[in-house]
Amino acid sequence: MVGKILEEIKASLVNVNFHDASYEQSGYHLSVDVQTGNIPDSVKFFKDKAFYLEDLFCVDYIDYLELVYFFNRYEELCRVKVTSKVDAGKPIAPTISNSYTMAHWYEREIHEFFGVYFDGHPNMTYLFLHEGIDHYPLRKKAVPVPDEDKKLLNSFKPQEEEDCFFVNLGPQHPSTHGVLRVVVKMDGEYIISAEPVLGYLHRMHEKMAENRSYLQFLPNPARIDYPGALLLNLAHVATVEKLCGIPVPERAQYIRTITCELNRIASHLLWLGAFPADLGALTPFMYAFDDREQILDILEDVTGSRLTYCYFRFGGLYNDVGDTFVDKTKAFIKRMRERFPMYEKLITGNVIFVNRAKGTGIFQQVDARKYGCTGPFVRSTGIPYDIRKAEPYAVYDQVDFDIPVGTAGDNIDRYHVRVAEMEMSLRIIEQALAKLPPGPFKTEKVPKKLKPPKGDVYYAVESSRGEAGVYVVSDESDTPYRMRWRVPSFSNLMTFPSLAEGNLIADAIATLGSYDIVVPEIDR
Amino acid sequence: MKTINNIIELVGWEAIKLLIGLIGVLVVVVVNALVLTWAERKVSGHMQRRIGPKEVGPCGMLQPIADTIKLIAKELLTPQNVERPLYFLAPVIVFIPVMVSFVVIPFDAYLQVKDINVGILVILAFSSLSVLSILLAGWGSNNKYSLIGSVRSVAQNIAYEIPLLLALLAVVLMTNSLSLRDIVESQKGLWYIVSQPIAFLVFFIAGVAETNRTPFDLPEAESELVAGFHTEYSGMRFALFFLAEYTNIFIICAITTTFFLGGYHGPILPGFVWFFGKTYLLVFVILWFRWTFPRVRFDQLLNFSWKLLIPVSLLNLIVTGGILKL
Repeated sequence: MVGKILEEIKASLVNVNFHDASYEQSGYHLSVDVQTGNIPDSVKFFKDKAFYLEDLFCVDYIDYLELVYFFNRYEELCRVKVTSKVDAGKPIAPTISNSYTMAHWYEREIHEFFGVYFDGHPNMTYLFLHEGIDHYPLRKKAVPVPDEDKKLLNSFKPQEEEDCFFVNLGPQHPSTHGVLRVVVKMDGEYIISAEPVLGYLHRMHEKMAENRSYLQFLPNPARIDYPGALLLNLAHVATVEKLCGIPVPERAQYIRTITCELNRIASHLLWLGAFPADLGALTPFMYAFDDREQILDILEDVTGSRLTYCYFRFGGLYNDVGDTFVDKTKAFIKRMRERFPMYEKLITGNVIFVNRAKGTGIFQQVDARKYGCTGPFVRSTGIPYDIRKAEPYAVYDQVDFDIPVGTAGDNIDRYHVRVAEMEMSLRIIEQALAKLPPGPFKTEKVPKKLKPPKGDVYYAVESSRGEAGVYVVSDESDTPYRMRWRVPSFSNLMTFPSLAEGNLIADAIATLGSYDIVVPEIDR
Repeated sequence: MKTINNIIELVGWEAIKLLIGLIGVLVVVVVNALVLTWAERKVSGHMQRRIGPKEVGPCGMLQPIADTIKLIAKELLTPQNVERPLYFLAPVIVFIPVMVSFVVIPFDAYLQVKDINVGILVILAFSSLSVLSILLAGWGSNNKYSLIGSVRSVAQNIAYEIPLLLALLAVVLMTNSLSLRDIVESQKGLWYIVSQPIAFLVFFIAGVAETNRTPFDLPEAESELVAGFHTEYSGMRFALFFLAEYTNIFIICAITTTFFLGGYHGPILPGFVWFFGKTYLLVFVILWFRWTFPRVRFDQLLNFSWKLLIPVSLLNLIVTGGILKL
């Protein structure tokens, strides 16, 4: 199936160079080199063929800048890397934001970090940075930022108009779950437009990665996505393993799967508590935290920390699980299964909750590709896209589970999908525990100072919010030449303005709560 | 003794009684607010698998007093750009109607400050005034959240005052009196909750909405409007809003008790024990609502009143009138 699509791409695209890529080695099926002028045509082709924009970023090779577009399909895995060289002295490229809405943000990000201008982009302003930055942060050589480019979003100082007013939701506001700021233009209780303002938690993890060795970067992923720390920890570790070809013992893979799924449940429970709180019901929060504590206790025994885990190592784990781990996890599964009916009664059985969540914040399935949404957010619209099924990592190919999907893509569907996913995670844990093999928990003789071979690799895991991907370019040194994080909340949040528009403020806040966004992940 | 007699002669026995009653009302208001803050925290704690306050006094019972001292000791911050007269006036105005309502409530057969033959009208008239102070607070704060909160509050109060009145009218029709004492006395045999169950439900729901409590707490919707109309208030000014809210809850429950639960009637125990027992039971129900329900949306809130509560209570009134005529 993948072969057929690749053939079609090769037959249809003109004026481009194809480089066959080995999926096993690099994580993508095909690499396409496009002239800058041909970008819009090529991108339009991918759009017509129902590809979604997985990621868009830039790599600085000093002589030239390389724009990298990743396209993928929801139906079956077919990852295509499209690259285009841009002149480093005067970098200009055509925008693709008219084909893929998500490119709006990706291009703004590239503009502020690399100084690439996108021709035709409607709003080339800063997304994360402030005006005080003198040099483009991700350029390899010091390139000063011209003063006229230090543009912040216009909505920082919105112009009041007649019959409407602006309200700042955040950065300090009870409903935004962190330091997200949304500038909302309102007419009475109705929202005319909403514009997220990012960057309050921007820490430049991608730059940090370039300045430290692969091992030293280990604690960082947990800070990118704190509720799902292990899942991003796995993304980083597995990427490096793929790059260096480090084998992982089977026992380690099983334990990785179990702990990751526990972490996923903990993350979903955090959301399960916070979402009704956005609707005004504060009690479910405490109940969800009660359950979450049980998971944290188990993971604390194993990893030594309760929130920002750093447990996986290249070639295995930091240490083996304790004797009580299996029993404790089994006890937790039993407890959690008894709790689901209670949540059903407490939350789903509440008529006010259902009336608030049903039919609000509807996200259409057809829009998903424009934004590259992933995770429970896109599954609620009925697209059964899950990295654990699409390209199984760890031991997800050896356990039996389904992908829960919704139908309407509204807030209650997102709720149902996440609750069903928790049940599915319990099923995965149960099977993995039963199959847990004895043996070593890590590969011996992994060098302390990793020097991966030259090349690049893309590796994705299914975090609790969607596809978390890592793209690493190695130049044979002990630090990555470029490390790119593709985070799910970023592309999911981009859909918020369209979902909020024309709706009541109360609905918009419920919708924002249903995204399960993590601000450090968006800002990186 | 002689001077006291002189004073009594000078101002009249009635006035003295009223004065003592008013002082009593003040005490009840303050003590009630203290008890309710403690109860709310305890109830919410136990509903959320916590235990609530426990450090200050036995079971944390002195916690409200510690909180009050903190609030009194706080500096009164006035934000810049507020509409000063309105901003200062609002917390004062919010408190007056609340006090007046207490005057006519019969706590026991002989425990009532003043029985007025239009007692219920006094309560309803003055409780509608509290919305004025919310509007002043929202407007005077010069804050968008406050303004949205207060505008919501006005729309909500207007919408829910109508079913509130219509539900009470059904009971008034049955007793032929607006005096609260007469209404209680006529429930000696049968409580009106039995003969007027629909009116009871409508009144209680509308009452919860009038007091701005969850699920109708839109004027101060935390996740949307930060704290709604009292976002900019702190210290004792905030405490006055707080005090008024809890007193309003008590009044709504007290009126429900008076109109539908037989007031101070009850076997064996003295009347005021029954009265307070029934009232606090209803207060508990309102607290229970808050810690179980999410918040309704604004359009749902208004639809619920205009499309359901008002027609139902009107129909109830017509049927009651019809039966009485027969």
